[in-house]
Amino acid sequence: MTDISTTSPRSQAASNGWMLKAIPLAAILASLVLIPVIVGNQFVYHIFITICIFAALSTAWNIVGGFAGQLSLGHAIFYGIGAYTGVILMNMGISPWIGMFAGAAIAVLAAVIISYPCFRLHGPFFALATIAFLEVFRVLALHWRELTGGATGLMIPLQIGWEWMVFRDRLPQLLIAFGLLLLTLAVAWWIRSHRIGFYLVATRERESAALAAGVGTVRVRLAAVAVSAALTAFVGTFHAMYLTFIEPAAMFSLQMSIQIAMFALIGGLGTVFGPLLGAVLLVPISELARAWLGAHALGLHGFVYGVVLMLVVLFMPNGLMGLISRFTKQRRERGVLAGTIAASAATPDARQRAPIGADVMRVEHLQKHFGGLHVTNDVGFTLREGEILGLIGPNGAGKTTVFNMISGFLKPDSGSVTVRAADGSWQSPTTPGDFATIGVGRTFQIVQPFAAMTVEENIMVGAFHRYSDVEEAREVARETAERMGLGPWLDAEARGLTIGGLKRLEVARVMAMKPRILLLDEVMAGINQTDVRRAIDLMKSIRDSGVSIVAIEHVMQAVMSLSDRVIVLNSGKIIAQGEPREVVKDPVVVEAYLGKEFIDAQA
Amino acid sequence: MNTFLQVLTNGIMLGSLFAIVAVGLTLIFGIVKVVNFAHGEFLMVGMYLTYVLTTWMGIHPFATVILVAPALFLLGAVTQRFLIQPLMSADDDHIQIFATVGLSTALINLALLVFGADIASTPASGLRTPLQLGPVRLLSGQVAILVASIAVVVVLQLFLSRTQTGRAIRAVAQNRAAAQLMGINVNWIYILTFGIGAACVGVASVLIAPLYPTSSGIGTYFVLTAFVVVVLGGLGSIGGAFAGAMIIGLIDSFAGFYIGSDLREVAVFGVFLLILILKPSGLFSSRLNLSHVSP
Repeated sequence: MTDISTTSPRSQAASNGWMLKAIPLAAILASLVLIPVIVGNQFVYHIFITICIFAALSTAWNIVGGFAGQLSLGHAIFYGIGAYTGVILMNMGISPWIGMFAGAAIAVLAAVIISYPCFRLHGPFFALATIAFLEVFRVLALHWRELTGGATGLMIPLQIGWEWMVFRDRLPQLLIAFGLLLLTLAVAWWIRSHRIGFYLVATRERESAALAAGVGTVRVRLAAVAVSAALTAFVGTFHAMYLTFIEPAAMFSLQMSIQIAMFALIGGLGTVFGPLLGAVLLVPISELARAWLGAHALGLHGFVYGVVLMLVVLFMPNGLMGLISRFTKQRRERGVLAGTIAASAATPDARQRAPIGADVMRVEHLQKHFGGLHVTNDVGFTLREGEILGLIGPNGAGKTTVFNMISGFLKPDSGSVTVRAADGSWQSPTTPGDFATIGVGRTFQIVQPFAAMTVEENIMVGAFHRYSDVEEAREVARETAERMGLGPWLDAEARGLTIGGLKRLEVARVMAMKPRILLLDEVMAGINQTDVRRAIDLMKSIRDSGVSIVAIEHVMQAVMSLSDRVIVLNSGKIIAQGEPREVVKDPVVVEAYLGKEFIDAQA
Repeated sequence: MNTFLQVLTNGIMLGSLFAIVAVGLTLIFGIVKVVNFAHGEFLMVGMYLTYVLTTWMGIHPFATVILVAPALFLLGAVTQRFLIQPLMSADDDHIQIFATVGLSTALINLALLVFGADIASTPASGLRTPLQLGPVRLLSGQVAILVASIAVVVVLQLFLSRTQTGRAIRAVAQNRAAAQLMGINVNWIYILTFGIGAACVGVASVLIAPLYPTSSGIGTYFVLTAFVVVVLGGLGSIGGAFAGAMIIGLIDSFAGFYIGSDLREVAVFGVFLLILILKPSGLFSSRLNLSHVSP
């Protein structure tokens, strides 16, 4: 079904964009080592080592703060843990090369314990919680004098050589710092270009839609935090060896945490190389100000940092990488649009419809109260293989509530939902993840696109449910997009689509999961007549491939022509069910929709 | 028993100090829905202003309030108008956090540039005189803070509930769009609220400056506790902030005496984390409807 010819100019353009980024990147990285080696000045070495350290810290932070969107202002915790573990173990005669792994292990443990309860918090509250944890760590580091030396701090023992990570020369230190930077960049790049990266961004953009796509949102974020903490601790251990002296105020410092986050923001939040860019630009400013102006200009670099930060959020919130990609994208889009204007509409398969089979989902005696409101009252129905079941009813009838209960988003007060798994056994899934695993996919009445991702990436999040490989998922996503008539917009950001496009994207994302049961919540509301007809054809072709569908719909034309059976819900109760033609004649249904007066008038 | 009473009194005095800092923060938090990470630096600016006015012009610290409070009002209004307002529509709350964090960083370092790293002591002007009240001792400046914090809370509550502007502010807090449809100039209300919140800090700084030496880092010290107080009291709840401040003051005082003075902060932040994680809406239900900003 894929049209290979439409994808080739795109991938070519993409590889051009890639080259456009790769060359300057390689140049920046190379100059980080070459400039100090060529200049040979101690101070220049110091600046470049500091750049590497902060770029690495900021890149590691960005895995949590950027990809996952959890704004941590307590990352110095992990840096401090790495530093203290390294120094304490070194004082016991253990090499920091081993100590850094011990530090990373402790940091990971701390990160998981801290983050797990905090993931419920969003935005400023998460940030505040991380600051509070940072303060606790700092105070504890001051308190446990026997272990940490308290406010007086700790010195590293004077043991020089590669095995102790301590040198008289600057060059080995630069090489280690650079190595750590490469490691962090590689990890960040790997995450961003693999399934977990897509999952992280999807979770950041829309948690509920990510859940429906089968993403273990807590698990992926914990993984991100753990990786980020480990990398930060590595850098912390090395930096301690470089500084030769550590104290709680410097290791567990809020200012430091803010700085790390700031480089990422200025470079470009959530991009792989943005933090590097931010650090390359800003670290020299502070180091030079400190060296040239000394005590006279106490606070000058901090003042500049603060002002730059405010200007960046006001005038270029996507950071330097945002500027760069705006520039490269303009060049690329001109090439793309010309070839693909001819949109390929969804063509219904000429395949024969499969006969309706055995039950695939049984819903029994669902009850749900919201406070005193009885929103679902003893709702029960079965869904059969290859069937389209229409769920209709006036506003407030409880349709979406039923949907939420049969997809794991809402726990019923009582009653059960059982689904037949692919192997034929009956199971009772409870969480959205369980439902996704067993093959139930859903859309949302209010569309939930991952706004900052492209159409292709949106659909890939769904495709990852079955395919863990990026290229396979991309292939499936493209196929699905073509089928949904979204082919021409693969590279467009989802936030730019029209409402009709967003509805189709919603369906495309869930179709890419290859569900066996599809729950569609008003996918036709608010779209134009052509799109309705197209959607009807699409639903037929989905049904013909053996998928069972439950559709909440208000567009009667669609309900009548598609549904094999219709269930009418009113005030939380099923008031009628049966074939569409009979149901609409049922006086109870007419009354529910149009009021008693209408019946009386007809009589 | 006398020690217990003394620790209790210290806790209440500390609580009133936290309350007067936190009141402005909770107002901004509750109405503009922005977490002002620069709130502590507003306090620092106010304290430096008090210091400059008292030492250079020889005015009594409390009298400087007629200049400091309006100056802080202006600082808050300008912050809202030129830093927050352009970012109100940003769908990502990172952006607003970074904006106020940037302001905070800039102000701290500006103070370092101007005043250096030394601490600046505002003349005590008789406010550090100990008073003996039965078994407990306290400073006259502390009593002033207690009285002033209660006064600020009462005045703000009256302003919000009795005046037309106060009602408009509450309307904006409950539903921005609906308030706009009723003809309320929402942007102006935000500027006003931010200004009032900052002016409250101005009042606080005048009271605190004679008791605590001013330094560029003083804001960080107070603001973290103020955040704890605001979350504990329920976002945007002024009465809640007062009650929360008293609780935190008492915890701080008792933990400092019975556990160890270096672990006071662990106790305070421990309580904060527990509240955030277990009951993020705060201990006291808020009078303003803030369902859409709850964490």
